This record gives sequence, structure tokens and C-alpha cells, in this order.
Amino acid sequence: MEIREPLSRKKARSLALAGLVVFLTSWAVLTYGGIVPSVILPTPTEVLQAFPILHFEEALVRSAGWSIYRVTLGFLLAAMVAVPLGLLMGTYPAVRHFFDPVLDPLRFLPISALVPLTIVWFGIEEMQKVMFLFLGTFVYMLPLIVEAVEGVDDVYVQTATTLGATKSQIVTQVLIPGSLPAMAEAMRVMNGIGWTYVIMAEVINARYGLGALITVAGKRGHVDRIFALVIVILVIGVVSDFVIRFVNKKLFFWKS
Amino acid sequence: MARQLTPFGRVLLVLCGLALLGYGLYRYGVFSKIAGIVAPDRKAEGTVSKDDFGALPSSTATPASTSTTPAKGGSRLNRPIKVAIVTWGGYAGGIYANGGNAPNKDSVFYKEQGIEVELLVIDDFEKSRDAFRAGGDKGGVDIMWSTVDAYALEYGGIKKLNPKAILQYDWSRGGDAIAVDASIKSVADLKGKKLACAEATPSHYFALYALTQGGLTNRDVQWVFTTSAVEAANVFKAGKVDAAVSWSPDVYIAARERPGAHILASTKEASNLIADIFVARGDFVDQHPEDVRRFVAGWLKGVDLANANPEKTAVLLTKSFSGIGLEDAKGMLQDVKLPNYAENKAFFNPQATLASYASIYKTSQGIWRRIGKINEVFEPYQTVDTRFLDSVAEFFPGAGEAKPEFEFKAPPKAAAAPILTKTVSVYYPTGSSTLDENAKAVLETQVVDLAATFGNAYLRIAGNTDNVGNRDANVKLSRARADAVARFLISQGFDRNKFDVVGNGPDKPISTNETDEGRAKNRRTDFEVIPR
Repeated sequence: MEIREPLSRKKARSLALAGLVVFLTSWAVLTYGGIVPSVILPTPTEVLQAFPILHFEEALVRSAGWSIYRVTLGFLLAAMVAVPLGLLMGTYPAVRHFFDPVLDPLRFLPISALVPLTIVWFGIEEMQKVMFLFLGTFVYMLPLIVEAVEGVDDVYVQTATTLGATKSQIVTQVLIPGSLPAMAEAMRVMNGIGWTYVIMAEVINARYGLGALITVAGKRGHVDRIFALVIVILVIGVVSDFVIRFVNKKLFFWKS
Repeated sequence: MARQLTPFGRVLLVLCGLALLGYGLYRYGVFSKIAGIVAPDRKAEGTVSKDDFGALPSSTATPASTSTTPAKGGSRLNRPIKVAIVTWGGYAGGIYANGGNAPNKDSVFYKEQGIEVELLVIDDFEKSRDAFRAGGDKGGVDIMWSTVDAYALEYGGIKKLNPKAILQYDWSRGGDAIAVDASIKSVADLKGKKLACAEATPSHYFALYALTQGGLTNRDVQWVFTTSAVEAANVFKAGKVDAAVSWSPDVYIAARERPGAHILASTKEASNLIADIFVARGDFVDQHPEDVRRFVAGWLKGVDLANANPEKTAVLLTKSFSGIGLEDAKGMLQDVKLPNYAENKAFFNPQATLASYASIYKTSQGIWRRIGKINEVFEPYQTVDTRFLDSVAEFFPGAGEAKPEFEFKAPPKAAAAPILTKTVSVYYPTGSSTLDENAKAVLETQVVDLAATFGNAYLRIAGNTDNVGNRDANVKLSRARADAVARFLISQGFDRNKFDVVGNGPDKPISTNETDEGRAKNRRTDFEVIPR
């Protein structure tokens, strides 16, 4: 192995597969071998057996649908606010300095503290859940967007200025296209953030939802179901990540 | 001559076709059928009514324990017993016996029983369960807290650990309460309202009990489920729901801070509903029975001491729980009743049918099953190990039998409004006030349990008739019948002054007297639960 050694596609894939196999094998050995009691770590069989129960009795697919809906909506709302605002802040340092003292510290906010507040502000229906996810995603998305805009090399801006471009031309012709790939990459990373908050978002009055299912499973001591639900979330995460990666690649082919 | 379709026309045509097809599939329920396979809905909830709660027939008595090994023997533990507790006054007995949370050699546990105990405050429910799963040898705990109703719900999930209930450390007496807005005066007013509580918790169980005894079912309210009791109180305080079931102190704070809100009922009245118990890991009980026995003995010694020295107990609580001042600690002690040795023995007696471990376990298990929270059921005796309680008598000489806990000095004031009214049809021979065996059986299942569960509340027995016949004679008869019910209940061991007897005759119909059906509804006995 060399530092930053480039790998062929085939090699990269087989390494990823090997990692997965090693992980699954050690899980199997630890549980079937009785090294870790199954009340702490359920066996793969138990986790598989939890799926039909979740599907037929606990409305797994509906719950997944609702969670995807909430996370996506929160994400889209966050993007709708963070992208224009971030663009402004990245373009005009004056705007950035104006917002910084209010928005920058938000990243340090323990997001769980917002649950009672969102209830007071937005009630106990869907609005509260989506707004909670919006807030949770927004605070992390904004700095990344600002960074993406600021990351556009000054050379392009200067060249455009020398060529006589107007302010609006610089923004639309240089800064936006220049920062889009980094923004898209930020969106991909942010896609995961909403899912990390899904349990907290669904603490109240969620008839369906993967987060709510996890909480209930935890309360009744069904570790196997928790694992099954975590797997569902991971699969959703990996699939959506793959899709965004694919779209990004098609859209910003010049980057790779 | 056929004209060539434009591309737009073609698309339009295809869309129209698809729309027609889609509508057809929708119309004939194909979509919902597919949805039922791909994304089936949650299993339907059953209906919980007043018939799901009630005294058990005494024939269900079963062996006290499945294990036959004596409580002594096994190997002795060479580390402190680790016990998961929460910030709650019910642990006063053990905290007294341990002189705090940390294991130490000055404690009653060590001096009298030769064991060391470590009390770990784990307020997060799931973390306490994780600790229990890990076990005391692996950084977790040997013994955890639960309530009988919650234990019935979680037993299936932890049955691999072969857990055993070993001790009751308190009754919730005001610790759980229902806060309601100004418009709600009794349980019946909750119909159609939004009710918040943490799902599948003692709050949920309390809510179901109060609703059903007040003549409603679980389907009569709009449930707003939260994942913790504190959230339920917050949702209520924010004015987003009409009622909430939560615990002390949050529920009282919420009721105080929301304008016009008040507490409808609490476990102060429903005194024998929420029983807090200790549950030990099966392997711990098997390997170290002697240590468990000494733990039980030491804890119950602490209960006697704590009950005798409330001031010192309150001071100890302030040291055990962070953020709890002396006044808070005294308040916490007001919210609980610490049962002593004799009361524990009575509670775990498998023959007992009233507000006992077995009856509450069975009832709550039935409720959870009915609303689809569990699908496996267990016999109460499988979940308990009373050998330890049975073998500590030597430490409590002269304990005797448990005494009746509640004394009622005087009957309730006539104007006192009931928390809830349970309507029961008791049948009498025409013109007579004699209770036959059927009537007694109805009272046993429908009323005796209500009277025992609301141990710390008055019960007004109101007889009602239809309008057939002479009014004065009907009033007299209804009064005589209510009297007969009261006499029967007193014969079951209740205090005479607990009951207030009223004969309404035909004056308070709940239905029309024009039809047979309506008249049958009007011939009834109302049991009104009245707070002290």
C-alpha cells in the first residue's frame, strides 16, 4: 500500500466487498458463537426474522415512506433558504458579516433542545416534524454553501472583471457555475444529516415513521427490530447517496 | 383519410389512456390491494373497554415460583449489587438503607446484611434497559426498576434474560396524573378530545384505565403519542392538546402554567394502579440467591426506617438526586407509598385477587395485547420470584398481616363532584333489593376492582330506576338496592365510610323512558369516584 496510491475500479470494489464480508462474518461469529449474548447483539437470523413482523404488523413501508417524505421536505426547504442566502453571503462579505454572529453559532446548538420549541411554534402535526428537520439541516448546510461560493478561484472573478463583466454577470456566469459542483457535493453530504435527526423529529404524534418505530422497539426491548430498522435507514441512505452521486457526475462531468 | 397524429396528440392520448386505466384500478380497489401487499398498515387496534379491567377469578392461582431451589446458597457476590433507579421518591427505602447511592460500609445494607449496594440513577428508560441487558458483571446493572404494567409489556422482549420481579418498592400516589383544560370536568368529557401521553408507558395504562372506567373506550379520544412523559406535559403546556397524562412534577407544573388547566385525576385517588417493582436478571438470581435475599431484607428494613424518619429521608434524597432541593424531596415523598414487608407479602401473594401483582400483571398484559403492543402472553408466576420475600420473615418479627391502608373518617360531602362515573347494570328481582349470585358476580368483576384501585377515593353508589310505577316507591327501592351493594362491598373488606349511598329513583334518566331499551338503560347503578 502506498500513500494516496490510485486504485483500479475493480480493486476498489473488491476491497469494499471484502470489508463488508469481514464485518458480516465477525457479526455472525460473535453472535452464533455465543461470544456476545443475543440480548445485546442479535444474531443475523433474528434480525432477518424481524423484517416480516415489521412489515406485516408495524407498517414498515408506510413508515419508511413517511420518513423519506419528512426528511426530503426538510432538506428541500433547507436548500431553498440556504442556497440563495449562502450565495449572497459568499459573494458579499458584508452580508456574511451581517449574518455571521446569528447563524454561525447555530452549528453548536444541541438540536434536541429545539424539539420543545418547535412544538410551541409549529404544533404537533407534520409541520413541526418537517420544520425541525429543516432547522437541523439548514444550520449545517449554510456554511457549506458559503464555503462553496468562496471556494471559486479569484482568478476567474478577476478575469471576468478585466473582460468587462458586470456584477450580475460575474454572479451568474462565474460564481454560480463555479460553485455548483461544490454545492452539489454539499447537498450529498447534507442528505445524511436529516436521517440522523429522524428519531428526534418523530418523538411526538408520529403514527408512521422509522424514527418512531425505533423508539418503540427500544422501549419494548426488541433489539432485533432496532437493528432491522437501522439497516433500513442505512439502505435508504446508501441508495439516495448513490443516486445523488450519479446525478452530480452527469451534471458536473467536467469535475471528474 | 386518416390524419397523422402530432407528437403532442400522441402523448395526450397515452395520458388519457393511463388516466382511465388508473381510475379503473383505483375504482375497483386494485390500488388499495396492491398497497395492502406492498405497504400493509399497522395491525388494527382492538377496543379496550371497562370489561378488560376487573378482578380475576381466584382459580388462576398458580405456584409462586417456578424455581424450587431455596433462596439460600449459591455463591456470594464479591462486588456491590448494582441497581438502576430514576429520580423518584419511591427509592427512599433503599436510599435510606444505603445512606446514599454509593456502596459503603456504614450502610444498613452492610451492617445488617453484609452486602454493598450501588444505586445508579439512570433517568433514560432505554439506557436503563441497556444496562440491564449488559448485566452487573459487564458494567451494567443486576436489578432494574419497572412498573408492573410496563413489565408486562416489556417482558417478552427481555425474556431471554429470564428476569424476575423480586420486590415492590412503591405505589405511585400522585406521581402520575391527568392534566386537563378548563372545559373537562370528568372523564366522560374527554370524549373526542386530544389526549397526549407517552405510548406504552404507565401514563398510557393510567389513561386507558381512567377512560374505560369512566364509560369511554380507547377509540373515544384522539391519542397524541409522545416518546416521553415530559414531552406529553410540554405539549399540554403549549396548548396543543386538551389533556395529557404525565408524571410528577412535570404534569403539575404544566397544569399550573397553562391558564385554566387543572388536574382531573391522579394516582393519589387511583392509589393501587401503578406499582413500582424491582426486576432482577435471572442469572443473577440463580447465581447469588443469598445476596438477593439480603438485598430484599435490607431494602425493606430501609422502608421501615424511611417511613419512621421522613425528615432524614428527605435530606438523603436531596443527596441522591441532583437538582432536588429539600422541598422537592418532601414533595417526592408525598407522591409515593413505600410498602413494608407485610404489604409486599400481600402484594405478591398469588392467591390475592385485588390490586395484587398477579392481577395487575394479567390485566395490563391483556390490555397491551388488545391494542396490539404485544402478541406473546405469560403467566404472572413466570415473571416473578417470591422466594426472597418468603425467606426474610426472620428480619421482620411481629410484622403480621398487612393492615388496611385507608381510613375514611366521614362520608364525602354531598356536593363533591366525581372524577368519573362507572355505570353498571345490576339485576334484581322485581321490587326486591336482594343481590343474587349473578349480581354479586357482576359487582366482583366490575366494582370491587374499581373500589380497590381507587383505594384512596370515595365511591358514591347511586341507584336509578325507570319511570314505571310510583316515584316515591322507586326512590326508596333504588336507595335500598344501593344500600345492598354497599353492604356487599363492605363485606369484601372495604371501609364502611368509603361509600356514600344515594337513591335517585327515576329522577336521573340517561335515556328515554318511552322504549323498553331506554328503560333498561335507565335501570342502573352508577359508581361515582369522588376524590378525598
